[in-house]
Amino acid sequence: MSEKIDWAYTEIVKDHFLNPRNYIMGDEENFKADGEGIVGNPICGDQMLVKIKVKDGKISDIGWKTYGCASAIASTSALSELAKGRTLSDAEKISAEEICDFLGGLPKQKFHCSVLGHQALKKAIENYKSKITEKKS
Amino acid sequence: MIYLDYSATSPLLPSVAEKMKEIIDASVEGRLGNPSSLHSAGVFSKNLLETAREQVASLLNCSPEEIIFTSGGSESNNTVIRSFENSPILASEIEHPSVLEPAKRFGGPFLAIPVDNLGRINIDFVEKHLKTYLHSKTEQNRQKTEQTQKNLKNHKKNTQNPVEPPKKILISVMLANNETGVLEPISELTNLVEKYRNQGLPVFLHADATQALGKIDINLQELKVDYLTCSSHKIGGPVGIGALFARNSAPFSPLIFGGAQEKKRRAGTSNILLASGFGEAARIAKEKNTPLLFEASVRPLKSYLESELKKLHKNLRVLTPSSPELSLPNILNVSISSVEGESTQLYLDLEKIAVSTGSACASGDIAPSHVIMAITSDPEIAHDSVRFSLGLDTKKSDIETLLEKLPPIISRLEDLSTLKPTIQKKLKNP
Repeated sequence: MSEKIDWAYTEIVKDHFLNPRNYIMGDEENFKADGEGIVGNPICGDQMLVKIKVKDGKISDIGWKTYGCASAIASTSALSELAKGRTLSDAEKISAEEICDFLGGLPKQKFHCSVLGHQALKKAIENYKSKITEKKS
Repeated sequence: MIYLDYSATSPLLPSVAEKMKEIIDASVEGRLGNPSSLHSAGVFSKNLLETAREQVASLLNCSPEEIIFTSGGSESNNTVIRSFENSPILASEIEHPSVLEPAKRFGGPFLAIPVDNLGRINIDFVEKHLKTYLHSKTEQNRQKTEQTQKNLKNHKKNTQNPVEPPKKILISVMLANNETGVLEPISELTNLVEKYRNQGLPVFLHADATQALGKIDINLQELKVDYLTCSSHKIGGPVGIGALFARNSAPFSPLIFGGAQEKKRRAGTSNILLASGFGEAARIAKEKNTPLLFEASVRPLKSYLESELKKLHKNLRVLTPSSPELSLPNILNVSISSVEGESTQLYLDLEKIAVSTGSACASGDIAPSHVIMAITSDPEIAHDSVRFSLGLDTKKSDIETLLEKLPPIISRLEDLSTLKPTIQKKLKNP
């Protein structure tokens, strides 16, 4: 694996595809989360589940699973790195462009269809917030 | 590298490379003229071109005059379709895009022939439409006769327009599909075409043999198609050249005008280098009788791979028909549930194993493979599909290495995947 392999992806994308960060190994139920969100559709070829733990208004931990191509897997991995430790309001601002920049760019056709992790994160944050509201009421 | 992507392109055969080196040397030395020129350098080239044409014709058992060199399979397919502009074109829904796209654009109308869950065309659909066209022709004749009789009675000119039957009809069905290797019932189709042609219907048959060439016997003295598409680089020849077989009796409109080359059927200075390479690859295929070799040595490897893969993964769907009568000896397409094809392809690439996938992602297209969609109607199956295509150089040890490397890749991607019952259930009942 030390030999350089030429793909249409940057070295950073390759790294996140092959060594995904923060993904939930095994049963996703073992990752006890405060909020979770799922976006995408197997029909389109990509789907992401993002789970977050929240402490003091910040994302203290994040876990995910992704069905999809290299770009989909790498972009969810990148998102998890970007979101960890951020306040919820900061994390909500993470955009597809930010993920793409973090990865050193993505092939144009991949950008629109496979960068969805930030949407799953937004849903997870909404899910967390609705739980808090429910608790209060 | 363990190369299992022969259907995408095949390595250049050593003797083809040798032949092409000779031509390059001749060109460097100024011995290779334009084959249209009358001087000796031109005649030298012309002879090379015609030898190549004879070699391709010999492989197909047809007359060299019926062979037109093109830039490849896509051009051959486009040429046939454009010869039927504004005429009815019936093509299977799993044809190569170089048939489907021009047929949709230029057919008048275009009718997609549906396929069953093995990918075999529905012959009844074809017959139903041929019957309709035949009926419209008979109807026109009847109306004409009636009108003539009336005209004779009334001494009047014909004022009523009878139903217009098509002047020509094209049916385009590939011999074997490039993604799954399924063989289409071409003999049944030729019988059907003959039956309707005998009744006066001007129907013509085109078969795309891009994947089938060199893998199964193609004898144009027996196979009564009007057009046949061939490509050089699928049989170990160079990329950038193909051939179109067209019977002299079949309608023909050139795609490229502006020169007398290829008997005015395809203008442009003949590419001696590529034609000679293609000719040599065809010569080898004929001499070695490669269809026999594929059956003897490649099909058993494919069957072994299929049976071992089925053992490996319970949710694996084989998209290539298992019966040897229904598939090419060298293509196996499988869909590994919940594991996306491009990811599998790239992980295998790290292990130096080259395969391809029907997933949309790999090609950058939005829609997944139209072939697998036509066969299964299930986009997830299409996204998860992986095509293994073997060649005469594939060894059993290559298949064993693949079988050793694939399971951990599947486990890894399955573990990453959201496509598991627990998550999907949650999605339905949040």
